[in-house]
Amino acid sequence: MSVSELTLLVLRLGFLLLLWLFIFGIVYALRSDLFGQRARKMQPDAAAAAPAPSPVFPASATAPTEAVSRPVVSPDSGGTEKATAQSATRLVITSGPKAGTEFPLGGEPITIGRSGDSSLVIRDDYTSTHHARLMLWHDDWMIQDLDSTNGTFLAGSRIAVPTPVPLNTTVKIGATSFELRR
Amino acid sequence: MPATSNPAAPADTSARRSQPRTGAFKRLHLPQKLRNLELFLLIIACAINGAAVVLVQLGALGRIDTSLVLFGAGLSVLVFALHIVLRIVATQADPFILPIVTLLNGIGIAMIYRIDVANHQSGIDSASVRQTIWSALAIACAIAVLLVIRNHRVLFRYTYIAGFAAVVLLLLPLVPGLGREVSGARVWIGIGSFATFQPGEIAKIALAIFFAGYLVRNRDSLSMVGKRFLGMHFPRLRDLGPILVVWALSMSVIIFQHDLGTALLYFGLFLVMLYLATARLSWVILGLALFIGGAVIASQTLSYVNGRFTNWLDAMNPDVYAAPGGSYQLVQGLFGLAKGGLIGTGLGQGRPDITPVPQSDYIIASLGEELGLAGLFAILALYLLFVARGFRIGFAGQDDFGKLLGVGLAFVVALQCFIVIGGVTRIIPLTGLTTPFLAAGGSSLVANWIIAALLLRLSDTVRNQPRLVV
Repeated sequence: MSVSELTLLVLRLGFLLLLWLFIFGIVYALRSDLFGQRARKMQPDAAAAAPAPSPVFPASATAPTEAVSRPVVSPDSGGTEKATAQSATRLVITSGPKAGTEFPLGGEPITIGRSGDSSLVIRDDYTSTHHARLMLWHDDWMIQDLDSTNGTFLAGSRIAVPTPVPLNTTVKIGATSFELRR
Repeated sequence: MPATSNPAAPADTSARRSQPRTGAFKRLHLPQKLRNLELFLLIIACAINGAAVVLVQLGALGRIDTSLVLFGAGLSVLVFALHIVLRIVATQADPFILPIVTLLNGIGIAMIYRIDVANHQSGIDSASVRQTIWSALAIACAIAVLLVIRNHRVLFRYTYIAGFAAVVLLLLPLVPGLGREVSGARVWIGIGSFATFQPGEIAKIALAIFFAGYLVRNRDSLSMVGKRFLGMHFPRLRDLGPILVVWALSMSVIIFQHDLGTALLYFGLFLVMLYLATARLSWVILGLALFIGGAVIASQTLSYVNGRFTNWLDAMNPDVYAAPGGSYQLVQGLFGLAKGGLIGTGLGQGRPDITPVPQSDYIIASLGEELGLAGLFAILALYLLFVARGFRIGFAGQDDFGKLLGVGLAFVVALQCFIVIGGVTRIIPLTGLTTPFLAAGGSSLVANWIIAALLLRLSDTVRNQPRLVV
């Protein structure tokens, strides 16, 4: 044997160490997935206006279970025109740090939350990791709250079930509100 | 539900996506940030793979044999080719899947090579060279999948074709002249004396696509109506059709193909996807009751199933141990694991070749012997990370078809690991399935690399949504 026992032992332990270093490397790179995205510091004046609630934890993993909740078409939504796939073309941020910016509406659902994989990422203390989603249901845009901590408000009232969104009506999530427009 | 109304939508949004509007978009990641991370991890994975082969040679031969370097280098080049393909066609794909899969595949090849050394096999007929060639073919298939399928929603259109293809693939081994029977299980096809293939491995991908598409289309009737009983919603009798069909399919695999593991795999996949789509625990309970009922009846009536149960429950009995087709293999595997202890005997320094088929069904026992508990847990952690990435991709998915497909594909890998490793470690009865990415077997490698490619494609579509950061 040209290789000593000791060398083999050292190499063997080194190999196991390397294997585990690789795994911990991946876990380290994944840390934002495991602990959630960092919330942005609120502006001092905004923080004074709205005293911060207890620290917001990432929403529990209840998002994919939406199958049980039926979308409900509320009868009093006839006052304003419904936002359909044809009538609504953009989402406009009306208040919050990015007021005035627009977002094109396609046919795909739009997820809203603090997590980096949302379509509309809102990084403030009041938004949950997976907060809400906008989706097309029978051609109408519906907003669905994904069991968020601080709720989703449509025209000032908190929604409990998937609700159709009329055109030019404010949806408020955390410190940000937006409307669907033509 | 939403996904049913828009499977064709991405065609126009993808055009819009490529030319971002001024100011409205801000990419969260720099375009190639994910790929650079992947490249870094990939280089480490290839280095570990090379180190594993060198350690096998040092341990078993006492010297370094450079003739194998060419093969290893060829494989690494292909993996890097896949990485470059991702840089071009899927820039936002998950950066962890490819390194994890590369490492698992490489450790598998090193272990198979180690068994070849013990059996004094070399050249084109040895299992390790064949495994390397199959790996190359599998990676080529993965590249083809990434190039052909540019958006996973395309698969939604082929739901029923996928279902039909799965059934045809399952039936192929039963065709006279084409099917091959290997150690009692009729799950192989072959032309002449070579090129044997297990079509059931590819069928699991087709089934995942079919289940995802079918459940997105039809889950309302499966989840909305029914009676409450014992605190759970139970479905109507007439909605039991799909589950009974899949159950009958699994049972026919047990009866006609003598393959317990595959049956469990398909049925488990369906149950989990049904649960995901409907969020009803009653389906899982119904399904498990059906499957356990079927398995108990099969264990009483089919001799091969009965033998598996005896080997499992009474493995240490000397009569069972010595009987033909008895628990010899299982117990030898356990002895090997015990010999390995905490840190193993070292690559190339154990005796994994005593166990029958140490390079395919029992590769986990071989690895456990030579890498020990520490190494085996590292391998399990790699699987855990792979499956967790799949679940994450499914969770982040924005359309229901993608969600179901991502989780289904990841779960099928997890369940297969559980069935094989659970069988080897005597947690459940032993069934003949391959350990994904590790075990010798071409069809399994091809199927699992295609799964990896589909997950990469899914993760790219998920991250590539138009996004606005507030």
